[in-house]
Amino acid sequence: MSQLIWNGLFVGSFYALIALGYSMVYGIIKLLNFAHGDIYMLGAFFSFVVLGGMSGLLGIGSIPVLLLVMLIAMLFTGFMGVFIERVAYRPLRGSPRLSVLITAVGVSFTLEYAVRQIFGPNPEVFPIRLSGTPITILGARITLPQVVLMIVAALLMFGLQRYIMHTREGRAMRAIALDQTASLLMGVNVNKVISRTFFIGSALAGAAGVMAAAYYGSIDFLMGFVIGLKAFTAAVIGGIGNIYGAMLGGLVLGLLESFGTHLFGGEWRDVFAFGFLILFLTFRPTGILGERVTERV
Amino acid sequence: MSSSTTPRRRAAATLTIAAATALILASCSGGVGGDGGGSDEGPIKLGMLAPFSGSEAAFGDYMKNGAQLAIDEINDDGGVDGRDLELVVEDDACDATASVAAAQKLVTAGVLASVGGYCSGATLPTIPVFSDADIPMVIPAANSNAIVGQGAFMINGTGAQQAEAGIKFATKLGVTKVAAVNDQTDYSKDLADTFIADAEEAGGFEVVLDGAVNPDDKDFSANVKAIIDAEPEFVYWTGYYQAGGLLVRQLREAGYEGTVLVGDGTVDAQFAEIAGDGFTDDVFGTFTKTPDMLEGADDWIAAYKDVSGGEAPGPYSIQSYDAVRVVAEGMKDAGSTDGKAVNEAIAAIDGLELSSGPLKFTEDRTLSGGGFVIVEVGPEGDFVLHDDLQD
Repeated sequence: MSQLIWNGLFVGSFYALIALGYSMVYGIIKLLNFAHGDIYMLGAFFSFVVLGGMSGLLGIGSIPVLLLVMLIAMLFTGFMGVFIERVAYRPLRGSPRLSVLITAVGVSFTLEYAVRQIFGPNPEVFPIRLSGTPITILGARITLPQVVLMIVAALLMFGLQRYIMHTREGRAMRAIALDQTASLLMGVNVNKVISRTFFIGSALAGAAGVMAAAYYGSIDFLMGFVIGLKAFTAAVIGGIGNIYGAMLGGLVLGLLESFGTHLFGGEWRDVFAFGFLILFLTFRPTGILGERVTERV
Repeated sequence: MSSSTTPRRRAAATLTIAAATALILASCSGGVGGDGGGSDEGPIKLGMLAPFSGSEAAFGDYMKNGAQLAIDEINDDGGVDGRDLELVVEDDACDATASVAAAQKLVTAGVLASVGGYCSGATLPTIPVFSDADIPMVIPAANSNAIVGQGAFMINGTGAQQAEAGIKFATKLGVTKVAAVNDQTDYSKDLADTFIADAEEAGGFEVVLDGAVNPDDKDFSANVKAIIDAEPEFVYWTGYYQAGGLLVRQLREAGYEGTVLVGDGTVDAQFAEIAGDGFTDDVFGTFTKTPDMLEGADDWIAAYKDVSGGEAPGPYSIQSYDAVRVVAEGMKDAGSTDGKAVNEAIAAIDGLELSSGPLKFTEDRTLSGGGFVIVEVGPEGDFVLHDDLQD
């Protein structure tokens, strides 16, 4: 039982990190950014390249090196997010939402198959592998890397929450989420704020990509596809557009999957997760936390 | 003005239609006579469907090089009835949709036999495409039981024979509780199901878990927990190496200490890399022999390296080499390249020396002896022979 909860929370914290980007972008410009999962994949591949370049440093100890590489990868994926928004989404901002949605799908495929062209179709083995001797707490086997990764995820989410709720830039983001035109009239630089949102969301996805790569040890060009959809599911469960909802939705989805697969078997995991997506969309489309706050960042 | 151009246009249209009709008729007669007419001259084309992209892409090159080596040897000996053989490869990406399109492309290209087929799920839907065109199929790698009895020849052992080797090994180790885990692909599910069904009859041990994973997942904590809760001493993983490497690692990290046996889809050097150092102890595989496990194979390996540009032969390279030789033998025996005659001639082959031993097909066109052995992960991370199960 406690093992199930732990497994669920661990996977859920990855979902939550990625769901944040989905949710923020949706909150601000009402775009379901289907390329978001591929940003996660880009983060993994970028850190793979960086680590290949600095393999001499690996002797120092892998967790600090990994955190450094993660920061570099976050910058990279952040700028990729800004770039994608600039070339693919901004020119379509006035267009019907469907056009932008389809463009997002196109961006997703472009990223996936560009990476496939560069790195080939086979999985690559990540140079740093986090593993540790498990300790048993309350009957659950827990490893140090799992704890570290969860703490890193929690810190990132905490930092984001402080940023959005307690800074001028965060207030601008919340203002745009409420009313883009009014914000513009009040002198908010809307383009800049949207770019910033993409930067933060993509950086978080990149961080999740690096962490997953180091934990599971194998990366491939399609690794972002299903997890992107899972993060979307998490965002919907929590209440899309709401940052607390994204975090909560990630953890809830992780737990649902963990208990669901325990009951029905591992092959039912995706059926279970997306089944819940349908249930939520049918009976509570605003998600758990989405009462009247869905328009928030 | 328009009235003056109209008749001219009409004349042009009539001409176009006439020309098109003539073309269609011409190509039709070419197509109808294709079996005996146009293809009686020039090289005999052999088609090969294999994955050259996708997660199983590595196997495509192994198979292509193996087949090419056989073709080079046969051509050096004067070909088949004075005609050279030529290999035409198409990418099936291990995907059922892509493979059907690729098979149709091969049929259009005028191949007279098929010597490919790696993923069972991709090979199965191509069988009717080839058989409708009377093209004999000798399948070097795919070995799902679903393929058996469809008219194609299989020179890899079948799932049933592989499952038998797995059961033999488990029985030999004297284990009592066994878990079988598949990745829901045709090949994998079939192997696991056969293993479980035959294990019940064999009676030596009890199957305590019949599990499945999503092959695209990275996190198998649910499966791992189910396996550990079932407390087996032996786990048979029947899927491919990508998920297999991750599953074995996560099993070990979660404290599973029993033996792991993997099916031939996971027997690949990449498996040890994905699982990581120190996570492949006590991991074995059921596998058909590769060239380096055969006696006196050095010459063959050297010849293969000439073809492959220095790459060592991987899994199924020798089976693909054998597939070409079987087809060539069939065409020689039949004295023609007519599909039906070649099919009958191949079925009648008796005693052609293959890597798995002298060839004799059974009624349902599988090998009479499977040739499965047990391999283990060697110091280099590739699989080496552990037990040939010959007692």
